Amino acid sequence: MGIRSMLSRVRPLINLLILMAIWEVAGQLKLVADGALPAPSAILLRLLTDWSDYPNHIGATLYGAGAGFLIGNLVAVALGTLFALYPVTARLARGMNVAIFALPPIAISPILVLTLNEMAPRIVLAAIGCYFVTMTSTVVGLTQADPRAIDLVRAYGGNKWQALWLVRMRSALPTILSGLRIAAPNAVLGSILAEFGGGGRWGLGVYLLGSLGRAEPDRLWGIGLVATAIAALAYFAFAALGARLLKGTEAVTVPSALPHSGDVTRPLWQRVLILLGSIALPFALWWALLAALRVPAMIAKTPPGLFDYLFVLPSAAAAQVKLLAALAQTLPMTLIGMAAGLALAFLLALTSQVRPGIVRALLPVALVTQTMPLVALTPLLVLMLGRGPAVILWITISVTFFPAFVTMAQGLLLVPRAALDVPRAYGASLFTQLRLVSVPASLPYLFAATRLTAPRALLGVMIAEWLATGTGLGNLLNQSRGYLDYGMIWAVAVVSVLISVFFYQVVVVIERRTLSRLGMAVAD
Amino acid sequence: MSLRLNRRSFLSLTAAGAALPLTSRFAMAATPFAFQASWINDAEFAGYFLAIDKGYYAAEGLDVTYMSGGPDVIPESTLISGKADLTLTTPDTTIKAIVEQGAPFKIIGAQYQKNPIGIVSLASKPINTPQDLVGKTLAVPPVNVVSVEAMLKISGVDRAAVNIVPYAYDPTPLIKGEIDASLDFTTNVPYTIKQAGVEATSFLLYDFGFTIFNDTVVVTEEVLKSKRKEIVAFLRASRKGWDENLADPAVYPPTFAETWFKGTGRTIENEVYFNTAQKPLMAAEGGIFSMSEEAIAKNIEALAAVGIKATRDMFDTTVLAEI
Repeated sequence: MGIRSMLSRVRPLINLLILMAIWEVAGQLKLVADGALPAPSAILLRLLTDWSDYPNHIGATLYGAGAGFLIGNLVAVALGTLFALYPVTARLARGMNVAIFALPPIAISPILVLTLNEMAPRIVLAAIGCYFVTMTSTVVGLTQADPRAIDLVRAYGGNKWQALWLVRMRSALPTILSGLRIAAPNAVLGSILAEFGGGGRWGLGVYLLGSLGRAEPDRLWGIGLVATAIAALAYFAFAALGARLLKGTEAVTVPSALPHSGDVTRPLWQRVLILLGSIALPFALWWALLAALRVPAMIAKTPPGLFDYLFVLPSAAAAQVKLLAALAQTLPMTLIGMAAGLALAFLLALTSQVRPGIVRALLPVALVTQTMPLVALTPLLVLMLGRGPAVILWITISVTFFPAFVTMAQGLLLVPRAALDVPRAYGASLFTQLRLVSVPASLPYLFAATRLTAPRALLGVMIAEWLATGTGLGNLLNQSRGYLDYGMIWAVAVVSVLISVFFYQVVVVIERRTLSRLGMAVAD
Repeated sequence: MSLRLNRRSFLSLTAAGAALPLTSRFAMAATPFAFQASWINDAEFAGYFLAIDKGYYAAEGLDVTYMSGGPDVIPESTLISGKADLTLTTPDTTIKAIVEQGAPFKIIGAQYQKNPIGIVSLASKPINTPQDLVGKTLAVPPVNVVSVEAMLKISGVDRAAVNIVPYAYDPTPLIKGEIDASLDFTTNVPYTIKQAGVEATSFLLYDFGFTIFNDTVVVTEEVLKSKRKEIVAFLRASRKGWDENLADPAVYPPTFAETWFKGTGRTIENEVYFNTAQKPLMAAEGGIFSMSEEAIAKNIEALAAVGIKATRDMFDTTVLAEI
């Protein structure tokens, strides 16, 4: 190993150390928000003194996350297999899959808490966090199996199931394992998010909420860091497992597209029927689940119950006014936040082409803001930014930026060097190279990033509204819980899922049009 | 998550059993009874913890399941879903749910005769009356906005003159001066603020016309019919627990340090402060939980000011009479 490559390996570590040193000084001298940002040393000391509180809380979070991880992934692999074997089921389940991908957890969590008992809401939210990633990687893995190997099984008289077991499953294993890597931290975050709304005595989310009233930022940061560490450990445990089993590495992507399952072309009437079925399925499931759980109608609104609440009952007009007023506050902020998050991610991804060092230094920070429960960071952000649109914008950027950046940077990396050599040979400036080659070539990844960002932007805005500004859908949700306005809780949840799905679909349509005009393929 | 009797309380229960060998109740299977608390485990529920630990519920033939609450737990919801038999609520939301949604609730007692909720500010920039709030920023949990608006209206303060922002039960913005005041339990937050090195001052909404109870004891009409005997037994044992706990507020909180209070991240001194501060707010001539006709009338009157139409029949005092 030469000195240069040694240096490039140590670089990120050095950058991290510099960053920690700056943070320590800023904390010690109370430079940020009049001392509301504690120094790393203070956080660690606090963590040590509080340590006796932690084991039970960590245990409860791990239990919820673990059970959710197990159940979510089992369902995901089973359904993924079904989708891969019978492509028509994948089309039918499209509405459900997009809804699960796009749903904002904070809108769903109160509903889960109302309808389920004890640990179940945490397990379900953790499972939902795992489902999409693992389901997608299962379908991709199974459909990418070597057709020659399948032919071989078939030639020796093997049936569909034997081909599945002997060839497809084995070839899908690496993809599924790389999906589990992303699913693992998702499960931890899902469990914590459900703890916020679920009561109970133990869990890091419960501890965080209980500590919020103590005016001790060092403890909040400590809990946030422990949560982040668990999520990171879960990620690396599955990365290590994958490396051991497969002796190879895969690029990490955050999937946001439904894979093509190779369905045959059908007549129009069949396609329309399938489309209608795929829209109806989530509603049917919602109805069936409530019926199966026997939750009282006052708490649990079925689709017709919600329709009554919004359009038929005497209070419907008032409910509509409230909901529309909240939407008018939330939607513009979501669009602005999404644009800002994407723009920042794009700028940084471009910078990473020119100056990889800056990005490597910033990545740890971005990673922490990604996994750190936002509830812990919000008080600090409020102290620094106040309670206006600025705080909404920053929280939205912090949840949208990271996945968008990773996806875009990857797209830019995959631009063929040879293509860049042409403008270079003509002496084009860096900017011209980017404009003529890099950006157009990585367009599929830009779209993938946008797809990923749309639902997250809504989540970010709602969190900020709930905790800081007291406006929009986030506040309406919180207030309705306090007023026992169950109809409104369901209305906000359903509307926010619909908005997320709508944004997602809009991006998908624009993406398909643009890419097919340019003759490019969709990126995951 | 629920907690059943722990080992410590089991031991004290057996000890109680040994001391009273003639009590035949222990031979009977205890009736399950689920209680949903309205907040995380703190001194607000010390009386119930004591009654569990000392076996007072067991002596009444009850097997109590204690469910902790928290900022995001809606106690009334656990009643409707049938997860709990009895809970503690804020009367304004309960009555609103009865009036607007026909929720089948009955208020059968009140833990706090005077609502401990108040306006907390820093002693260096004190806010002593509702009038002082004019032009100031006040952080209020979204659930309590109605109560604050009621107090402002009763005190003749223009609602538009006060900047109300959401409060996430974090006193940091108040300590740092980002807000001027917050709405919180006066039995608790002033201590927290003092720990952070600043003096706090507070006044109760109750003392400025918003004369309502808090932690009202609520059951559904159905449970009131089917489990009346158990409800009476629960209130009797709870009152015993509270009387004993409040006799000297400094005695019992330390005994819960390793059990009920473990993992809440709060100090025992904090709980003793809380326990001492809540004593005068709970004291009632008819004993803990009582609801005098005069107090009920005051509740109805105060809620009317916010447009919540409470009526006398939402309060049922007959259960208390049976204790």
